Amino acid sequence: MRDGYDRFVADRLDRLLRYATAITCDKHLAQDIVQDVLVRARSRWGRIGAMDAPYLYVRRMVTNDYLSWRRLRARRDVTSTHAALEVLSPAVPDHAERHAERDAMRARIAVLPRKQRAAIVLRYYEDATTAEIGQVLGCSEGTVRSHLSRALQTLRVNETSPSEVLR
Amino acid sequence: MTEQEALIREAVAAEAAEAVDSRAVLAALHAKRSRRRPLALLAVAGLTVAAVTAAVVLAPSPAPRPATLEAATPPEPSTVLLAGLDAAGHADSVVLARVGADGSITAVTLPRDAWVDLPGQGMGTLSSASDPQVLVHAVEGLTGTHVDHYATVDLAAVAAVSTVVGGVEVCLTAPAQESLSGVDLPAGRSTVSGDQALAFLRQRRGLPDGDFDRMVRQQAFLRSLAAKVLDPAVLRDQAKVTAVVDAVRNGVHTDPGWNLLAFVNTLLPNANIRTATVPHEGTTATESGTALTVNPAEVRAFVTGFQSESPTPSGPSDVAGGDCVN
Repeated sequence: MRDGYDRFVADRLDRLLRYATAITCDKHLAQDIVQDVLVRARSRWGRIGAMDAPYLYVRRMVTNDYLSWRRLRARRDVTSTHAALEVLSPAVPDHAERHAERDAMRARIAVLPRKQRAAIVLRYYEDATTAEIGQVLGCSEGTVRSHLSRALQTLRVNETSPSEVLR
Repeated sequence: MTEQEALIREAVAAEAAEAVDSRAVLAALHAKRSRRRPLALLAVAGLTVAAVTAAVVLAPSPAPRPATLEAATPPEPSTVLLAGLDAAGHADSVVLARVGADGSITAVTLPRDAWVDLPGQGMGTLSSASDPQVLVHAVEGLTGTHVDHYATVDLAAVAAVSTVVGGVEVCLTAPAQESLSGVDLPAGRSTVSGDQALAFLRQRRGLPDGDFDRMVRQQAFLRSLAAKVLDPAVLRDQAKVTAVVDAVRNGVHTDPGWNLLAFVNTLLPNANIRTATVPHEGTTATESGTALTVNPAEVRAFVTGFQSESPTPSGPSDVAGGDCVN
């Protein structure tokens, strides 16, 4: 059990951390979550490792952990901090425009409701299908579509005034 | 993809790139692990169990890995012979296991009554091999396979392990009462340990299919036992782990050149394990009783074919309790 688990961790830890960072917009929270989840996954590795796609299952554990009531309560609200800071900090002149746009987008994503943000990350970072997103978030495809379209709506609406949400 | 979607992708990727260095997490995981790591020897318990019938059990490998957690080196392909011994030291169950380069395991059971050429002894049943070397050579001759290592396991040790873990659940299709083995169990589910476990594992007289029923029994028992031994609650209980290891330690013997622990550590957890029994042709009367005729050419073809087949995905193997057996 340990062996396959170790292999999984070696192969997937980096990606899990990146994914968790993308949905939480908080690398320290992401680290906490991934650590907790991997410790829990280890004790059940016999079952998880036997699955067709252990990564998908663990990714779901990470997502659920983040969306869970426990995290909701325990978490200080710092989600948009670093993204916001970068937006507010003066842009470097060259390659500046695209960077600024991107960071503005980061800031907007960072303040999306959690499920919407998770759906966006699953779609645009993990390239998950609507059905897969539904499995991760534990909701119907219809709900996923609604999360996505609302998120995209918000991101679009704010496009003209990137830092509006931060004020 | 729209411009906005492209921007979202970039933004999410940039966010993801903020992730902490994975080494920090690895260090934390290792710290948490070392506090409750079960003894490496426990793996031997797993192997012991597998040794007797190569059920489904070669699973766990709790030995420490290097801190870097580099991808494990694939196991060297190797072939090992595992024999379960009765109280008199006769090979009661014989399993030829091969670990492939991809970590998959095939385990071929050879009937103890197979009538074979025992080098230096003449013709006889596998169970009448006088020592492990003879058994190894006989199996090599029969299967055309080179055996790299062997291990023998006393059935009594397996029964002792079941006692340590508080008994193992078995299920019988009919009541079993037979004086030679001393078995006395009702139909349906019962929890056995100690002498009754041993009797359950040993009985072959009075069963509809004799030795074959016993092989099935042993596999069911071992699956059930493995589930118990590998239960996290047991693994965390240091006293139990020690007792299991003690029960196993004196019952397992390997050839002098084989580092069993090192071998177990090369096994992949949840490795794909396929089991089969070699073909046989019927029975024959011999001076030492009824034996099973096997055709070496057929056995060779079977073993070679079985070992080289690509593994099919196996379902979850955590069938605690298992189905009812004869």
